[in-house]
Amino acid sequence: MAPKARTVSNTLAMTLLWTSAIVTVGVLFALIAYVFINGIAQISLDFIFGYPRGLHAEGGIWPTIVASVYVTGLAMLIVTPIGILAAVYLSEYARQGRMVKAIRFAADSLAAIPSIVLGLFGLALFVEALGIGFSVLSGALALAFLMLPIVMRTTEEAIRAVPRYIRWGSYGLGATKWQTVSRVVLPAAAPRVLTGLILATGRAVGETAVVIYTMGTMINTPVTPLDPGRSMTVHLYLLSTEGINLQAAYGTALLLMVMILGFNLTARLIVRRSRRLSE
Amino acid sequence: MTPGNVPIPRPAPHIAESPNIKLTSRSTYLKERFLRYLFAAAALVAVLGVLLIFFFVGIRGWPIFQKVGVWDFLTGMVWAPTATPPQYGIFPMLFGSFVVMAGALVLGAPLAIGTAIFLSEIASPKVRSVVRPAVELLAGVPSVVFGFFGLLVLRPFLAAGSGTLGLGLMAGWLILAIMVVPTIATLTEDALDSVSGGVREASYAMGATTWQTIYKVLVPSARVGIIDAIILGMGRAIGETMAVLMVIGNAPVIPKGLFAPFSTITTQIVIDMSYATGDHRTALFGMAIVLFAISMLFVAAVRLVSRLFGAED
Amino acid sequence: MAVVLCASLLATALSGCATSGPSQRLTVTGSTTILPIAELSAEMFDAAHPGVKVLVSGVGSSAGIESVTSGSSDIGTSSRELKGDELKAGLVDSAIAYDAIAVIVNPDNPVKDLSTAQVRGIFTGKIRDWSEVGGPSMPILLVNRDAASGTREAFDKIVLKGATFDPTAAVLPGTGQVRAVVAQAKGSVGYISLGFVTDQVKAVSIDGVAPSPSTVKDGTYPVRRTLHFFTRGQPKGLARQYVDYVLSQVIQKDVIGKAGFTPIGSGK
Repeated sequence: MAPKARTVSNTLAMTLLWTSAIVTVGVLFALIAYVFINGIAQISLDFIFGYPRGLHAEGGIWPTIVASVYVTGLAMLIVTPIGILAAVYLSEYARQGRMVKAIRFAADSLAAIPSIVLGLFGLALFVEALGIGFSVLSGALALAFLMLPIVMRTTEEAIRAVPRYIRWGSYGLGATKWQTVSRVVLPAAAPRVLTGLILATGRAVGETAVVIYTMGTMINTPVTPLDPGRSMTVHLYLLSTEGINLQAAYGTALLLMVMILGFNLTARLIVRRSRRLSE
Repeated sequence: MTPGNVPIPRPAPHIAESPNIKLTSRSTYLKERFLRYLFAAAALVAVLGVLLIFFFVGIRGWPIFQKVGVWDFLTGMVWAPTATPPQYGIFPMLFGSFVVMAGALVLGAPLAIGTAIFLSEIASPKVRSVVRPAVELLAGVPSVVFGFFGLLVLRPFLAAGSGTLGLGLMAGWLILAIMVVPTIATLTEDALDSVSGGVREASYAMGATTWQTIYKVLVPSARVGIIDAIILGMGRAIGETMAVLMVIGNAPVIPKGLFAPFSTITTQIVIDMSYATGDHRTALFGMAIVLFAISMLFVAAVRLVSRLFGAED
Repeated sequence: MAVVLCASLLATALSGCATSGPSQRLTVTGSTTILPIAELSAEMFDAAHPGVKVLVSGVGSSAGIESVTSGSSDIGTSSRELKGDELKAGLVDSAIAYDAIAVIVNPDNPVKDLSTAQVRGIFTGKIRDWSEVGGPSMPILLVNRDAASGTREAFDKIVLKGATFDPTAAVLPGTGQVRAVVAQAKGSVGYISLGFVTDQVKAVSIDGVAPSPSTVKDGTYPVRRTLHFFTRGQPKGLARQYVDYVLSQVIQKDVIGKAGFTPIGSGK
């Protein structure tokens, strides 16, 4: 290619690539700005801690905040031991073979399942067949399946990132497999594992289709796991489609984004801190 | 993506697990054995999950295939479950799902790949520290917030520009395109990162420009990862529900223009589920089965691609 | 049937529960359309009358009528008229509001009046251009409600009379959305409860009658239905008090008006 043509094509390409990045970042900022500008007026102590009143959910959104936190927290409690132990198995114990292949295929499939299918599954199994009804528990169980592949994958990556010589040192001292894993490998992998958990939780908080069919749409402050509730995402969906109380919708959207941003930043901070410590 | 199947080189099976050499007590040996089974059980939960989903959704939806016939269900052009007699043809929704996904990919994949290339090859560390978090944050935005934005900002904009309601394919394409960007970009960036640095240096050493290096050397080397990224983006797009639901107009027909209301499998399920009973509800579960099957196809496609093209590494 | 059984079991169980809670109970069940009004009125009624609890549930007009006939609830709410055997059950109607549905178009649309037949033609998809009904040459952009909507159900019954809605119409799941979309798109048409019409949209006259609280009350505006509280015989005691409360200014203006319905009249 003639030198001039090369430079021209290079410059053109650079411009396009810069544009892609700018568009991507731009859309994110537009989204955040839009939600922030419209929602900030709505935020007040009464909005956060108050209850919905009246016909179109004027007032606050406290029951939805509780419902979101409750169902996500319970899901995290359920999925953490299973996901971490599963990842430990895949990276430390398993011999490559058919069973491992099946497990990986299953995890990939679980990750690829559309959330509406998970929601209907939760409805069919937890709400109806097992009779738990619309409840935090049904929602948490369904969300746990959603989070499982994420936790498995990130934990496995975290474990694999632990340098090999650490394990050999432990075995050399006569430790058993479990002692090595529990006292040496997992603690070393902990920051990354934690990050993965936080990201999975962030994903779960943003879910709508799964919780609408398992936890329900009733405005209620759940106390026991068998109580129904309406998550913030479902509330946002219902408010924006009804279209009458858009102010509350903006406020809900803003609080939701703040929560998710919080999760994201926390995960990031943990990774940065751990990197600094290990240097 | 699950991590590559590179086994950690480990010492021979731990002597605590071999019953012949008695260097540990029997109780420790048993304990280690038990733990191994426990962890295997945890790992099998994933398999259990998939089977359960397949079983329960399948059992709820299967009767509609018996009633209407798989072929008629999939190719039927009329969806009128509340009419007399009720009709359960989902072809318009299948069409809607695939077309909205295709358009979203056409718009979103180049944007995502461009951003990924930018991040991996061009951005300075300072710029990268702004753009990469932005991509990750975009991945975290809930789909209902995208839908909210689409409903209140994008739709009126499109309506004003086109003189229509603003609902339809164009709105769906734009919203879905931006939603698949983080998925495709992150995976593409991973794929580009895993191309060894030496390849780049060799290319530059031969006098190639950055762009030439990118498109002649890097992208081909990373093509398996990029194709995987795109396939996973497709899976994400076709499974998306809430955002699409709020901007496409939900008419169970094949759209006759870019701004005509239409419906997808996912959105039709949500719209109908709140009041459906009996056969209608079964039909919705039948649609969920179809979705499940489509998503499994995508997973299989990724594995196929890796097997066909990945051997060259 | 199972729903009625459960509702009546629940009502019986609750009314038999005398160990704790208020001494007087009133059960109100029925229409989901009326549910928000009934719930909010019950809340306010309870607050004004300590010792009283009004229990409200919404399972459907038919179930509401059945449960008041059988005695398992005190008041049965319904958004439809009595029919068939229900007329012989000795139920007394206390109408509490009107649900008038306005057909709305974009404010820039010059069309001001439509006949019921024309509205039917538009919403079934037979009439496709505004020029066919005296307007400019512009395609009609149809906006429909989702099938779970009470407003759609009422519109279907009163205007369409059994004909099917045009399947290519946009289906929007909320009043506010219908209003927002019609307010912006020039060729669009939709329908919402009269109480939600603002000056963002224009409500057309039907058969020459413009929708307003007075034309709704005197029945000249054709697209309306009555919301009923049914009781076995004349309402007495606590039921009477509650019905009077719902018919009073406080509820009629604030609750019923805010819910998008037309108040039935100044109260006692």
